[in-house]
Amino acid sequence: MTEVLDRPSTTQPPGFGTLFSRLVAGGLVAGALAGVFSLLVTERAIAPALDLEEARTAGEAGHDHGEELFSRGEQLVGGFLGTVLAGVVLAVVFAAVYGAVRHRLPGRTDFARVTVLAAVGFAVLALLPALKLPASPPAVGDPDTVGTRTAIYGATLLCGVVAAVLVGVLVQALRARGVGVPGTTVAAVVASAVALALVLVLVPDNPDVIAADVPAAVVWDFRLASLGQLAVLWAGIGLAGGWFADRATRGPRVR
Amino acid sequence: MTSVPHAHPATAASRIAVPAWAWALALLGLFGLYLIAQDNGAVLASMGGTAHEFFHDARHSLGMPCH
Repeated sequence: MTEVLDRPSTTQPPGFGTLFSRLVAGGLVAGALAGVFSLLVTERAIAPALDLEEARTAGEAGHDHGEELFSRGEQLVGGFLGTVLAGVVLAVVFAAVYGAVRHRLPGRTDFARVTVLAAVGFAVLALLPALKLPASPPAVGDPDTVGTRTAIYGATLLCGVVAAVLVGVLVQALRARGVGVPGTTVAAVVASAVALALVLVLVPDNPDVIAADVPAAVVWDFRLASLGQLAVLWAGIGLAGGWFADRATRGPRVR
Repeated sequence: MTSVPHAHPATAASRIAVPAWAWALALLGLFGLYLIAQDNGAVLASMGGTAHEFFHDARHSLGMPCH
């Protein structure tokens, strides 16, 4: 390893298996952090919604929540474990995509590149759907429209991924033509803003009307908490995954 | 640590190969996540509802649509 002293560490291509295991370990850490955030913050925002749900004396047909299948305590565990699982699965997908686009990402180290891709992941897979179809706590969504809302959610994610790929292609094309960093950055930001506007305008809106008995603060607090949890998740994938991957590819520290 | 100026061209990193199993695992993982989070019993008629209820809070808090 010492023969590479003068070379930037990231010019030696690491094996995919190394990157994969490091990034998935990062996903596990990220999921656990987001799961703790969920228990400390998001569940507090869910609680008033559940109180509301219980207060509605008319039982909802079809989709029962709460005590019959799992107690609230078990659902808290499920919320934590589900978040951890989401972190691991996202990291598995992230690792494959990272391996495919690593040589095109800006940054000299794997830490820098992983954090850049994680920021894109947060923007496309968390922030964009949060803007288009903001998260709702239990008792807010209309059971009859869940299919429509799921389709909107999926379409938003798909549009976001396509837009991210197109912006990436644009950046590569501009770079290949010798356009400098400022010009490329401006073009990428403008293209992203146009793509965001198109998704917000063209993809159908949430058909639900929030019931009059739901206080705005209940919905707002939950949406902030949900976005915060997703931010922790993606920051964890970027920072923990990036750190682990970087340590694996950097080689021993030499002074 | 010596750093040579202009030692990093624009394409600093060389391409690495992503094996097929990584893509397969990614797809499998996404499908699994869909099953436990989104599915309302359409694919796993009996299990779907149970997993859905157990992971219910995660589904809401991660911003996925629900009732």
